[in-house]
This record gives sequence, structure tokens and C-alpha cells, in this order.
Amino acid sequence: MENLVEVKDVFFSRGETPIYEGVSLRIPRGKVTGVMGPSGCGKTTLLRLIGGQLKAHAGEVEFAGQNVAQLGRSDLYEARKRMSMLFQSGALFSDLTVFENVAFPLREHTQLSDNIIRTIVKMKLQSVGLRGAGHLYPSELSGGMARRAALARSIALDPELIMYDEPFAGQDPISMGMLVKLIKSLNETLGLTSIVVSHDIHEVMSIADHLVIFANKQVIAEGSPEELRNHDSELVQQFLTGAADGPVPFHYKSNPYHEDLLGGAQ
Amino acid sequence: MTTRTMELLVGVFVAAAIAALVFLALQVANNSDATRGETYTLVAKFDNIGGLKVRSPVKVGGVVVGRVSSIQLTGEYYEPIVEMQISTQYDAFPETSTASILTSGLLGEQYVGLEPGFIDDFVMMLEDGDEVPNTNSAIVLENLIGQFLFSQGEEG
Amino acid sequence: MINALVKLGRNTLSVLAGVGSASIMLFQSIVGKPQPLKMFPLLIRQLYVVGVQSMLIILISGLFIGMVLGLQGYTILVDFGAEQALGPMVSLSLLRELGPVVTALLFAGRAGSALTAEIGLMKATEQLSSLEMMAVDPLRRVVAPRFWAGFISMPLLALMFSAIGIYGGFIVGVQWLGVDDGAFWSVMQANVEWGQDILNGFIKSLVFALVVTWIALYKGYTAEPTSPGISAATTQTVVYSSLAVLGLDFVLTAIMFS
Repeated sequence: MENLVEVKDVFFSRGETPIYEGVSLRIPRGKVTGVMGPSGCGKTTLLRLIGGQLKAHAGEVEFAGQNVAQLGRSDLYEARKRMSMLFQSGALFSDLTVFENVAFPLREHTQLSDNIIRTIVKMKLQSVGLRGAGHLYPSELSGGMARRAALARSIALDPELIMYDEPFAGQDPISMGMLVKLIKSLNETLGLTSIVVSHDIHEVMSIADHLVIFANKQVIAEGSPEELRNHDSELVQQFLTGAADGPVPFHYKSNPYHEDLLGGAQ
Repeated sequence: MTTRTMELLVGVFVAAAIAALVFLALQVANNSDATRGETYTLVAKFDNIGGLKVRSPVKVGGVVVGRVSSIQLTGEYYEPIVEMQISTQYDAFPETSTASILTSGLLGEQYVGLEPGFIDDFVMMLEDGDEVPNTNSAIVLENLIGQFLFSQGEEG
Repeated sequence: MINALVKLGRNTLSVLAGVGSASIMLFQSIVGKPQPLKMFPLLIRQLYVVGVQSMLIILISGLFIGMVLGLQGYTILVDFGAEQALGPMVSLSLLRELGPVVTALLFAGRAGSALTAEIGLMKATEQLSSLEMMAVDPLRRVVAPRFWAGFISMPLLALMFSAIGIYGGFIVGVQWLGVDDGAFWSVMQANVEWGQDILNGFIKSLVFALVVTWIALYKGYTAEPTSPGISAATTQTVVYSSLAVLGLDFVLTAIMFS
């Protein structure tokens, strides 16, 4: 299986805090890859490393065979035209209508005539079910609609790779269902490669062909959903079943309970 | 708001700024020709320039014809020499003209008063860079009072 | 003592680092291949937001400040029998000082804070990141048009401020208090110089425009992408640009008019 993205032994830290210590993973082409892990483990950082917005301190991040960190400015921008990212907040431009938001990358990067752009935008909006909402401003959309509009914008240029940053966070069950369906169907119909960063296990397990689980600044498991269900690591099992206590303790590191209480009385 | 309205309002904005500039240039600023446009230089030596400053006006019969452009000391006796830019509109001062340092009003600023001299066949006109030969220096109030007291003493 | 020195050193370094990164930001946004076709509509839009929307407050403030100058100037000058000097007093104070300085202060409060908040919010809602991921440079796309709009609008606003202020002084001095109409304008004209006063005042407002817009954009661009972060950045924009304007005004006045 060919890989569109390969991350090789990456070290990254934010300030003094290490985020990654030797992370390696692969994103197979044409598949939906789910990236999971507890909050604050740097899942979004992974997307920014692939997009070249952050640079790893050691190791390599390769996109379609190119080392992203070593690309010059114009090469990096060329590479970014082949990928797109759906931000957690949608990141629609608040001073443009939904229609203009979707048209934006087309107007920026192509010389197409207004007519063709209008047709493409309508097709993209149709595919996310928002063709009737083109005239609305982002502030008039519900959270789920904003995310779908942002999705239409991110597929406007027909990218090869699309990265979803927490697409299900804060959505009601209906829009969650819509998004799950959209991600799956877009991946199949457009021949995309998708990376879904999330901690909604059920949704991710239902659409992902390939899973990566982060914990303790490293990748602790990688493989298909079945492989992971039968994984023998306790940590993976705790994460997949959502148990409250286990290798990831319920209690923050502290002195033994009774010592602490008695110590306070002294 | 449509793009067209926006463009219109920006147009109004720029037009208002241009109107303000025109108002300032025509109505507020000094636009007598004597201080702008073509000028030529005359110099004059004085014993004492009093409170004359660079940019002080040069007047003929009360009308501004130019401005003082520099004041320096020259020669081994350190005489003040005043350089004036005179509008080329007034380019026929004879060499018999007189430059005096005068005061407008009792407390007003000092200026150079040019008084055109007589003209006959033997008198040349002053050209660019020439020196006005006849000068009257500034009247210094302290010297005047001193002289007055001195003359009072002689009489008494 | 040592601690105070350490603190001073640390603060100096962080100020220098800030100035350095602000310079890099400005350089990257405005230097490069110009794209007039793409830039022009963006610039028009920002001129509208930054310039046109500040016009009303500038005109009203200018009118009132000119009227106050006329009133105060008259009551002082009339004691010396010098009310003829009202014209130059009003116009010189406006052209040399109040026009550029008050415009810059009002501009920092009206447009500067709005720029900081807008860019900070774009950062917080990941719009800037998303531009980057769409292979569009946010510095060129978002920061540059706003910079040019601020840099162009503020001197124009200062011109309007001075002009309407002089007119306000005229209304109070001539129409209300009875200074002679002819004397008001002619004494003014005798004392106001195109280059010395109007041009120098204009240069001042260009410098202020650069500094205020620059601070506003930098503060927005580097704001902490949270609500308290953006509100702190907005406050800092107003405080820093006001201080910078007043400080620079002293320096420029010393260079130009001494």
C-alpha cells in the first residue's frame, strides 16, 4: 500500500514541553486514517507539521515524497495547494458569504472565469447539501452548517489530502451523522486521502480504514480497526473502551491520599 | 454594502481630503509670490543686525518682496552679512539703493527695508549675487538710551 | 539592585525582540511582487473601513478643537490688543501640532483598536491559519492592505482635521467674537508657510500613520488567540500608539521647528 504522508522519528516540543518523542506513522493513499489520543497529546500538531506550519526539531515529515520542512516558500505553497485542512472552528472568513468563502481558493489560485467558478462552487455546495445557503454569512450558520461549508471550501480545489481537525467536536448527533457520511462519501467519490483527528472513537472507528493512536508523546498503536480491537496493550484497550481508570490514571500524580490528609493536619 | 457604494464613499473621502488641502494651500498659507517661485540673491553688510532672523521679510515700502535666506559673519572684522532672496518680479534695484533693518511697530519683528535709489545713466542695476552698498544697521535700544543719557550729561 | 538591572536588561531585550519581529512582519507584508489587480479591491475595502468610517469623528473633533482654540486664543490675545493674531494662532497650532497629533490619537482609538481586534479575532478563529493552509500568505492578503489603508488615510484625515479646525476657529473668532474678517485671514496668510507649516505637519502625520498602523497590526497579529488575549492586545495598541505618537511628536518638532 502506497503512503501519501510518512512521518519518520519526529521530535517536537513547544517551548520547554516535549510534545513528540520519536513519532513515526504513515498515512496510506486513498484511505481514511483516524488519529486518536487523549486531549493535549498533540494531534493537531501533527496536522500542522504535515501542512508545514510547524517544523519538527528532528526527524522528517514527507508529503508525496517531499520533505515538507525543507521546501522553499513557493514549493511549500505548491504543496499546500494539493492538501487542505478543515479547522475545528471552520475558520470561514467572517466578512464573506458562504458562496464567496467557497469561491475564495478558486479565485486565488485559478484563472477561471466567473461563470465556471459559479458552477464549481454550486457543485461543491451541493455535495455538502448547502447549495441553498450560499447567500448567508458565517455568523448566520449553525455549527454543523459552518463545518459543512468549510468542508465545501476545503474541497474546492480538489486536493489530494484533506485533514479534519476534530470534525465531530461539539456537534449534535444529527450533524455528526451527516459529517461522518460526508467524510466517507467524499473520500470514495473524489479519491481523496483523509486524516481525521478526533477522540470520538465510535465515529472514527466506523469510517477509518487505518488508525493511529497517540499516548505519552509516542504512537502506541497503528493498524486497521480490527487489529487494534485485538491489540494486547492495556493502554490501547483503555482508550478504545473508554475506561475511567487504567494505565492512564484517574488521579493526577500526588502523594498517597491518607498521607496527604494527615499531613495537612500536622 | 455593495462594492460600488464603497468605492463611491472612498472617492468622497479622498475628494474631501483634496478639498482640505486646497483650502489650506489657498486660504491659509502664504501665497504671495515674493516667497515662492523664481528668486535672485542680494547681499548686504550691516554693523549690527539686531533681532533679524533667517526668513525675516524684505520689504519695499511695506510690501514684501523677499526673505532673508542666511545670516553669517564675514571678513576679519566679523561683519554680519545678510543674504536675501528677492522675487525676480522685482529685479530692477539700482546700486544706489539702501537696505535698512527696521522694526514693525514698537514690539514687532524686525525686517529688512529696501529703498530703491535714484537712477541715471551712470547707475548700474543690482544683479544676482550683488551687494547693496548702502546700509543702515538696526537701532539697538540700549545704545540709543546710552547716547541719550550721555548727551544729557554733556548739557548739564 | 542586581535584580532591578536584570529586569531592565530582560525588558530591553524583549522590547528589541518585539521591534525586530514587528519589522520582519512589516517587511514581509509590504515588500514583494506587487499584485495591483488583487490588491486594489482589498485596498478600497480597507480604505472604507479605516478611512471613511473614521471621517465623522475626525471632522467633529476637528471642528470643536478649532472652536475651542478660537475661544481660548481670543480671551488671551484680546488682553494684549492682539486679537488680530488669532488666525495664525489657531492655524499654526492646528497645522503643526494638533492636526497630526490629535488625528493620530483618535485614529489609534477608532481604527487602530479595531484593526487589532479584527486581526486578533481572525487569528483566534483560525482564519489566518486557514489562509496559510490555502497557500495564501496572510501577511500579504490581510496585513498589507490594512497597512496601506492606514498609512494613506491618516494623513488625509489630518488634513481634514486641520482644515475644519481652522474653519471652526474662524466661526468663533470672526462670526461670534467679532475679529475682523480680513485681518483674520490675511494675518494668517502672512504667518503660515506652505513648506514650513503645512508640509511639515503632513510629514508628521505620515510618520504617525506608519507607527500607529504598524503597532495595531503587529499587536493583532501576535495577539494571544483568546478573548483576554485580544482585549489585552487592543488596549496595548491604544496605549503604545498614543505614547509613540506623543514621543515622536516631540522628536519631530525638535527637528522641524527648532
